[in-house]
Amino acid sequence: MTEIAVRVEDLSKKFRMYKERNQTLKSAIMRGRASVHEDFWALRDITFDVPVGSTFGLIGSNGSGKSTLLKCLAKIYYPTSGTITAYGKLAALLEVGSGFHHELSGRENIYLNGSILGMSRKQIDRKFDEIVDFSGVEQFIDQPVKNYSSGMYVRLGFSVAINVDPDILVVDEVLAVGDAEFQDKCKRKFVDLKKEGKTVILVSHDMTAVKTMCDQVAWLRHGELVTTGPAKPTIAAYYDSLNHE
Amino acid sequence: MRYLKELIGSRELLVNLTRREIRGKYKRTVFGQLWSLANPLATMLIFTLVFGFILRVEPDKGDPSGLDVFAVWLLCGLLPWTFFATVLNLGVGSLVSNAGLIQKVHFSRVVLPLSMVGATAFNWMFEMGVLLVVLLILGAWVIPWVPLAIVLMVLLAIFAAGIALMLSVANVYFRDTQYFVSLLLQIWFYLTPVLYPISLVEGQSAAVGNLGGSGVTVEGIYSLNPMVHFIEVFRQLLYDNRWPDLDAFLLCLAWSLGAAIVGLVVFRRAEKGLAEAL
Repeated sequence: MTEIAVRVEDLSKKFRMYKERNQTLKSAIMRGRASVHEDFWALRDITFDVPVGSTFGLIGSNGSGKSTLLKCLAKIYYPTSGTITAYGKLAALLEVGSGFHHELSGRENIYLNGSILGMSRKQIDRKFDEIVDFSGVEQFIDQPVKNYSSGMYVRLGFSVAINVDPDILVVDEVLAVGDAEFQDKCKRKFVDLKKEGKTVILVSHDMTAVKTMCDQVAWLRHGELVTTGPAKPTIAAYYDSLNHE
Repeated sequence: MRYLKELIGSRELLVNLTRREIRGKYKRTVFGQLWSLANPLATMLIFTLVFGFILRVEPDKGDPSGLDVFAVWLLCGLLPWTFFATVLNLGVGSLVSNAGLIQKVHFSRVVLPLSMVGATAFNWMFEMGVLLVVLLILGAWVIPWVPLAIVLMVLLAIFAAGIALMLSVANVYFRDTQYFVSLLLQIWFYLTPVLYPISLVEGQSAAVGNLGGSGVTVEGIYSLNPMVHFIEVFRQLLYDNRWPDLDAFLLCLAWSLGAAIVGLVVFRRAEKGLAEAL
């Protein structure tokens, strides 16, 4: 039995689907209630374990609940029932450059973004050179980020996030940032993380990337867990099911 | 209690977000931070012209300071009021305008409205500093009262923060809140003795007497407004240079603690649902 990094138990998440979303007071008062809604279960009774040191992929078609699950792991959504237990520091990377302020310089934004992601000032000081180096924007670090090219912008955002240094990293489709060279750099970084014994949980539609990077995957369909298992056979089974439909 | 600990844990983030507000605001302006003084100055000039010169509102002389300058008397009440109103106006939209952040990153959400309080307080400190210099130039011996005035500033900031927390949550569910707040603030301003001395209200109240023989007076209803007490104490400290009325000071304390507790409780209950509701 390997050690467990994240344990997900009987996780369910219910959303309210609003037929009429009354965000104005008038409509709430007129109808005497805030909204009319139907329940929608985005996730139902999901149970799985993520082993320490693994790269764990979540696969499934659109609307299968992958992103909801990821947001639950990231503590952005709170489960309706069930629990998620993380053994170690967990950081989520669902978007690059969260909270960047366009008028502020790259340097100021590193500190801002870092502290939003939960790093202390000292940690950022220590990691600063590494972050700048990884992003490849040394030359422009004191320029406002609004003058950055979109590639530079995401590279800087990604570099901060990757340097948060968690035990468990939750990633959403962010591998597709920057040019080919930067993507290579990212992939190498993920290999390094794996060597250091970090756990990575990721969602991607790029099956080749999932196949090469992940060793375990969980396959979701309509909010329910179909199966978890080693990457290659599970992905093959997933493709099979698509051809049959 | 655990919530307070979490809040202390996020203080660096709070500082950074506050700095983002302050630095981002006046970027690419020639006068920079000086703009934060322009607004109160312009308001002071126009109110002094209309209420001090045309309508001739005559507040009592500062006792014992001996000051008799309408513009300065006005500022002692206007600056705290402007701070309060700005915090509410900015705070109410602080969650909605950061929706992207809330939906993508987990962090203590309470720092978003609080960073607005911080950024506004930063400007307010500047304004109060200028006022202090003016008071000293005019010969008011205000220095001994500065510590108490700072305590009162903190209390007002806590009071404003508590209300801003509630309003920011309400605005997530009902976007009407922000429009309602700006309307409410206009009315509230005139119900607070910023432009006129409270003695005028007392005079009218005495003339009207008990409302319907119930023992309730106009002044009694008027004093339900917490800002009345804040402004009163600010004037006693800064303009009159004397000990504030103890009950007025205690009322300020009670209101700010009450607002902070209710605000935090409301916010805490709503916090987990924010990402979905936005």
